[in-house]
Amino acid sequence: MRIIARFSKKEEARFVSHLDVQRLFGRAFRRAGLPVAYSQGFNPHPVLAFATALSTGTTSDAEWLDVRLERDMLPEEFTASLNFALPPGFRVLEALAVEEKLPSLTALLARADYALAFAGEPNEAKLRAALEALLSGPIVIDKRTKGGVKPTDIRPQVLCAGFSRTDGNALVLELSGVLNASGSLNPDAFAKELLERAGESAEYRIHRRAVAFQNGRRIPV
Amino acid sequence: MGFVNIPDRLLSGVEKPARYTGAELNMTDKTDGEFRFALCFPDVYEIGMSHLGSRILYHILNSREDTICERVYAPWTDMEQAMRQHGVPLFTLETKRPVVECDALGFSLLYEMCYSNILTMLDLAGIPFDPKRRGEDIPIVLCGGPCACNPEPIAPFMDAVMIGDGEQMIQDVVETLLACKRQGLCREDRLRRLSQIEGVYVPSLYEAEYDADGMYAGLRKLDPSAPDTVARRVVRDLDAAPYLGRPIVPYISIVHDRVALEVFRGCTRGCRFCQAGFIYRPVRERKLGTLLEQARELVACTGYDEVSLFSLSTGDYSGIHELVPAVMDEFADKRVSVSLPSLRIDAYLKDDLARMRGVRKAGLTFAPEAGTQRLRDVINKGVDEDDLLRSVTDAFEAGWDGVKLYFMIGLPTETDEDILGIAELARKVSRRFYEIPKEKRGKGLRLSVSASSFVPKPFTPFQWESQDTKEELIRKQRLLRDALRGVRGVEFSYHAPDVSVLEAVFARGDRRLAAVLESAWKRGARFDSWDERFDKSAWDGAFAQTGVDPAFYANRPREADEKLPWEHIDMLVTADYLKKEREAAYRASKTGDCRQACKGCFGKKYADYCKVL
Repeated sequence: MRIIARFSKKEEARFVSHLDVQRLFGRAFRRAGLPVAYSQGFNPHPVLAFATALSTGTTSDAEWLDVRLERDMLPEEFTASLNFALPPGFRVLEALAVEEKLPSLTALLARADYALAFAGEPNEAKLRAALEALLSGPIVIDKRTKGGVKPTDIRPQVLCAGFSRTDGNALVLELSGVLNASGSLNPDAFAKELLERAGESAEYRIHRRAVAFQNGRRIPV
Repeated sequence: MGFVNIPDRLLSGVEKPARYTGAELNMTDKTDGEFRFALCFPDVYEIGMSHLGSRILYHILNSREDTICERVYAPWTDMEQAMRQHGVPLFTLETKRPVVECDALGFSLLYEMCYSNILTMLDLAGIPFDPKRRGEDIPIVLCGGPCACNPEPIAPFMDAVMIGDGEQMIQDVVETLLACKRQGLCREDRLRRLSQIEGVYVPSLYEAEYDADGMYAGLRKLDPSAPDTVARRVVRDLDAAPYLGRPIVPYISIVHDRVALEVFRGCTRGCRFCQAGFIYRPVRERKLGTLLEQARELVACTGYDEVSLFSLSTGDYSGIHELVPAVMDEFADKRVSVSLPSLRIDAYLKDDLARMRGVRKAGLTFAPEAGTQRLRDVINKGVDEDDLLRSVTDAFEAGWDGVKLYFMIGLPTETDEDILGIAELARKVSRRFYEIPKEKRGKGLRLSVSASSFVPKPFTPFQWESQDTKEELIRKQRLLRDALRGVRGVEFSYHAPDVSVLEAVFARGDRRLAAVLESAWKRGARFDSWDERFDKSAWDGAFAQTGVDPAFYANRPREADEKLPWEHIDMLVTADYLKKEREAAYRASKTGDCRQACKGCFGKKYADYCKVL
């Protein structure tokens, strides 16, 4: 059977790279005794895929994995077993059984919502003004590619942006952007550009709050 | 008590930040203890986390109710720079406590080329290098591990050195220091108490003396209560000794990323260049049942997909032909593979290969160490050419196409004929592969020939030998490289000679080298065992500044009656035995495996330590 599951990545685990996340789930499945299906060959790997990679240093409440099991089980049971075995910082929040014919989660993704919490107290008025200016035209940043540095307009990838405050009254940039296989918004690059335009310097933490799929929902089915 | 604030921008700016964040699966959940021990490994996280010894100690110390043991690894150069820039002191991974607030630090000494990292760690912790300048609130600085058998080059930085197996000794040390803490004893008294523990050496209780020619003349006791010699601690019953408990599973990939089962400690082969073969005697095995139970528990609590049967020579385990199939059967349906880091070249190898066939085909490694039978007899490496060729042929026929051959150059009595013999042996191995019909062998041969440079080590029969000069090592490397041209499938690699020379200097050095180390460190020496980090100019400058001649330590044969800087350390094997073995080496006379007959290497005093026969 095929199960997809949403999990969070928090605290110190934010520094674990995507490749290490893949290995870590492989070991967690074994500890949990889950009947995961393996690839064929001399070096069998769990049949496991992730909807998208998360930048190292970013926390998230909306990571999705996609795994094949050798026998059927209840998604609730899957969640409970896996949560018992996962290392600190990782937690499965929901799981559902899906049809085999469902396309890959990567192909179904559409959007991601981020919250960038600023440390210290950057000048809010300047940031608001800079954001307004930024959104009113092309946002050309230097994008590093295989062929070198290439100026790229990331404005089309920005869907929505504004400010709010946390309970602790820290300034937060709420940012929604495109997230799909053909090109995704890099929230870090956006924040850097914003701070530069505002003439401010501040540290911030990026959190991926949610993703949305092409069906417009928080889950792909 | 404070905790260290590690800013995000610091971690975001360094390579592999997860090296410094801890919080891995199975990390101790203690947050405090009456005694706080920082287990320090003077290399990066991926290497330190692969070291079995310190992970055993982590488990033992955290099993104590009164103690919290936390880990510290050497920050890579980018992290060191970032920490200095942000004013972040060296901190523990578990609770992010400043290391200087712990009660004791213990450094693992696995290789000489990590010593500069010890200074980095002490400096970042805010601990003075000179033990005399350490105040009452500064942790006691300890070290242990194989390099501690000649602790002198690093001794001037250490409060105490632990010689030998740590399982029980670390408990004695912690109990003693805890009692001292409760009684409020001063540092000097604490060190004196430590010196009374079997296996513990307190350098400050002795002074090194040199004669008018600058030759080492022995240690003078500064305190009458200090022991004359410090004898190595030995865990007599390894089967009953504590092991890993529930070991930490790192997030990032480490060097040995698998379950390691320590099948036995020690080795009965007696290769004359091999320090481990002498300083871990006698052989002590774990029982088959114990190993199987440990394998089951470790796989269950880590989720690893590989179990490695670890020891100095796993093929020599008395129950190897029961153990390998038993472990494989245990995990047959769980997709857990078994690996043997070393294979014995003998008649059973074929069966082992057949068994391992179902698993992944990692490269096979053989270590003939020398190119001719004569030189193999000199070093007592009991491998003969026919056996080796038969073994590689078996492996090729079983489908392997990757073989590694390890050799050493610069061995005592070596001539160019021996160097050319390495190439000749490689040629024969290569020929064996291509003689097998195409359809019965692998695609293409990957024959890696690796030549390290011989480093004479204390407590081996070669402890009196000189090392080849750097120029001579380079000449021999070139000779071998040229001779290997045209051998199909060969990839040749060798060690940087500068590092091998430095290793030789520190392996048999005395306390005068501490000044060299400190000077090199100040000139930027860091991670000297990493080729890309090795800074020759820092070391050249340090030798010039201190007036110490590296050739005096590396390239000078020791007189038979010369005082050696490690004579106050008793590693159980007698000097007489080492001398006898040295003479046998010169006669190219082999000494058999001590499982067959006892050679009396421990003399009378420790004869009952060994129960091999």
